[in-house]
Amino acid sequence: MALLEEDHAFEIADAVLAASEADETEVTINCVEDRFVRFGHEGPTQSADRERYDLAVRVRFRDGEGFREAKASCGSLDEATVLDALGRAEILARVASPDRGAVPLGGAVEVEGTAPSRPTQDHSFKEKAEWVEAALLRCEAESLHGGGLARTTVASMSIVNSAGRRVHGATSRAEFALTCADGGADAETVGGSASSASVRCFVDQVDVGGVIEDAVTSAVRARDPEDMEASPVDVLLEPQAVAALMTFTSGMGFGARGFHEGSSFLTGRVGERLFSEEVSISDDPTHPDLRGLRFDGEGTPRGAHPLVTSGTAHGPVTDSFWAGQLGLSNTGHSQAQPSTSGPSAGHLVVAEGELSRAELLERLGDGLLVRQLHYVNVVEPRELVLTGMTRGGVFRVKDGAVGRAIGNLRFTQSLVEALRAVDGVGDRATRVGSLMGGELVAPALLIRDFKFTSKARS
Amino acid sequence: MVHPTVKPSSAHSMEALARSAVDEAMARGADAADARIVRCAEERLVIQNGALKESDAPEDFGIAVRVFKDGAVGFAAAPGPYPAMRNAVSGLVRRCLASARDLAPLRRVPVRLAGRADACGEYATPVEEDPFMVSLEEKLELLMRASERLGGRREVVSRLAGMSLRREEQWMATSDGGATHQVLVRSGGRVEAIARARGVVERRSYPNALEGDFRSGGFEVVRALDLEGNAERVRDEAIALCHADVCPPGQRTLILGGGQLALQIHESVGHPTELDRVLGEERDLAGGSFAAATDPGSLEYGSECVSFVADSTVAGGLDTRGWDDDGVPSGRFDIVRDGQLRAFQSGRISAGRAGAESSRSVSRAEGWYAPPIDRITNVSLAPGHGSLDDLLAETEDGAILADTIKTWSIDQERRNFQFTCEVGWEIRGGRRSRLLRLPTYQGSTLDFWKRCDRIAGPEEWRLWGVVNCGKGNPMQVAEMSHGAAPARFRGVQFVDVGSRLA
Repeated sequence: MALLEEDHAFEIADAVLAASEADETEVTINCVEDRFVRFGHEGPTQSADRERYDLAVRVRFRDGEGFREAKASCGSLDEATVLDALGRAEILARVASPDRGAVPLGGAVEVEGTAPSRPTQDHSFKEKAEWVEAALLRCEAESLHGGGLARTTVASMSIVNSAGRRVHGATSRAEFALTCADGGADAETVGGSASSASVRCFVDQVDVGGVIEDAVTSAVRARDPEDMEASPVDVLLEPQAVAALMTFTSGMGFGARGFHEGSSFLTGRVGERLFSEEVSISDDPTHPDLRGLRFDGEGTPRGAHPLVTSGTAHGPVTDSFWAGQLGLSNTGHSQAQPSTSGPSAGHLVVAEGELSRAELLERLGDGLLVRQLHYVNVVEPRELVLTGMTRGGVFRVKDGAVGRAIGNLRFTQSLVEALRAVDGVGDRATRVGSLMGGELVAPALLIRDFKFTSKARS
Repeated sequence: MVHPTVKPSSAHSMEALARSAVDEAMARGADAADARIVRCAEERLVIQNGALKESDAPEDFGIAVRVFKDGAVGFAAAPGPYPAMRNAVSGLVRRCLASARDLAPLRRVPVRLAGRADACGEYATPVEEDPFMVSLEEKLELLMRASERLGGRREVVSRLAGMSLRREEQWMATSDGGATHQVLVRSGGRVEAIARARGVVERRSYPNALEGDFRSGGFEVVRALDLEGNAERVRDEAIALCHADVCPPGQRTLILGGGQLALQIHESVGHPTELDRVLGEERDLAGGSFAAATDPGSLEYGSECVSFVADSTVAGGLDTRGWDDDGVPSGRFDIVRDGQLRAFQSGRISAGRAGAESSRSVSRAEGWYAPPIDRITNVSLAPGHGSLDDLLAETEDGAILADTIKTWSIDQERRNFQFTCEVGWEIRGGRRSRLLRLPTYQGSTLDFWKRCDRIAGPEEWRLWGVVNCGKGNPMQVAEMSHGAAPARFRGVQFVDVGSRLA
């Protein structure tokens, strides 16, 4: 099976539109081809060679000033299955209560096409096995237990609606990730450990050797951590750690729903200098490290969109509904509709600064170097108070020199305050992901007075 | 143990297709193989601010083939419908055998499957009222009534009433001769109010936060929730929370309600006792465990009043079924008995690696699209005695009763956790008094369960459904239930989440 070509996708969608009895119909087709090898220290543990389709039909019947609306989806593209999904959506929509706030579907637009990468699509299990073997051998040489993921994915998305909108695009993603740790129970608490990952748009950009060296040397360096009491301290957060925090701003912070409800840090603060002048954030699917689709879940075109410029916050991101509700323009940040969660900035880019790593460490002076933050979650949304753990190597920094590892710490810290306390931004941003989902581009950040509140092992 | 009724399958073609995939894999040289065909249908309805915002009827159908060859595992999967799956079988078999062959030289220790998967039979969730036969009008009316009762106060900025109904059917064949067919149905829903007053925004949910509460069963589950009857209380508590003080920091007695305990059990008992985590094979994303493979029989996990039982046969459990996705029959076993760790949760692969004779039947996959991994099953805290009122009456002034998860975080070894609840009450004179917002407690797993000195009785015990458990890499979502009655913990640390927020 291959990804759907634009013409083929449109043909399938047009058949649904032709059969639909609704006043408005939207067809969204997603297709994914995915191959991965997951491995532990004894070798590959899971793998998959798989593909899937998702075709969603959204239908709307006019009712007074609003629409009766519903959606149904199916996992295959044969005519009978697709028309059955249309039928289910129509049945649901006919009994739905009318939504008076719903706005008509958007019409024809021009979007920039994006194509999948053939080498990424064709990357084999044999090639992934070479990555995995190289990592395992290097870990074994240092008596470390390695585990991780080698994965290539290509995906396409097409949206066609009865108002004349027809958009299609494809994305590619390749990843090699390695976590290594001393073996045994409690390995990350009592021993050395570190993770590193290279997540790129194309398979030939993945820096397998760099990931292995970074993870292994950091894990060795993180061995024999010493105890440190939890307290506020200046930190240099590596990009992985920055991503674990920033991912919570996508919807809760920059999204229109939270802004409207008053739970977002933007509420009442648009145009204010909310963060340090060193902080600029945009949402940018055109960034060369992200190369996302150039349209959102409603097929609205999207491009680079500024969110914070030199610490000053712009307005929230919107979709067609929230733009209407708030009297703002549609920024093209819709999720697949209908959705109760509201728009989200899914391609965050934290702007690079000017400081090299050595300069960041020198400016930090005394503090901690934090490679990764784990299991971060929101305590309070308005100030974005977050809690989570350090992971994969926390090191003391003294007079700008990286020293001994310390045991993992828990933090409870407002992200708004943290971004206000940014005192240095790294000059190299990279694409990084986080446990709680989402990927973004971020540099290292130097943050003063970061609030650690307890120890992994008390 | 489940004793499913063995009767002829009603879907011979699916059974035959799964069998043909296994037979072809074996003929092409697999050492062992299984195939699963999964069909999932769901209906999701969400009323937001009085309008139907989500009305979704997804269906998903596909086949997965797994082979074991030369000590490695291969997996390939493709979507339906039936003719497409039938045409795909040979290709899937070839692809997963090829990947297993490519990966086998990398295995330092060959994969060994514990026990056999030779069970045959049928299982179906007991359903009183088929949720897909209840009219849409009735479902929407039920939600609309609940939604209306969430409103009527200007402080409410968002109100939501929703339900989700799901039916999953699976046919499985194994090279040990196993052939099973099961139909699993689960239902549930929620109401949620978000209020804003004096610059504070607070959420209150019923019966639980996140997606709500779910049980295996039909529409009778949704009716029993009585969303409408609880909506006004939820609304009023959300508004009251905006005016409440932030729970003060310090060390005090904590009484956790059942909904919050379910998540406490999930994070600090469920995950650290998954055998694949214990063996280090989840290290690359979710992490490991403080527990060692040799700990069962010796590790003191909690106080003597603490016992946890794993049970994939319990009535109403979200992981209650006939067999797991290795084809191993469901069952019940002690994880912790009278405070001592007894056993880990294992599938055939992890049990085989640990040298066990058989698995604990916890291997599960998200639909047809993913390979099975060890998952938490229904893990419950055994009840003690007495009512919640008895427990409150016998607790000193200044203690905190907290319930309903707001946020959760636990470290990569499942030791240091910090949870914030939606709501807290200070205990005065043996009953709830001052309402408190953002009650946030932090602890260390073994120390915390050792601080448990009293658990309410069977009359307060019930199952709570978790529908968003993420694990694996790439991540898979699984569902399970945790039974609990309110329990008391002494000397718990409450965290200052920011006095500015007061």
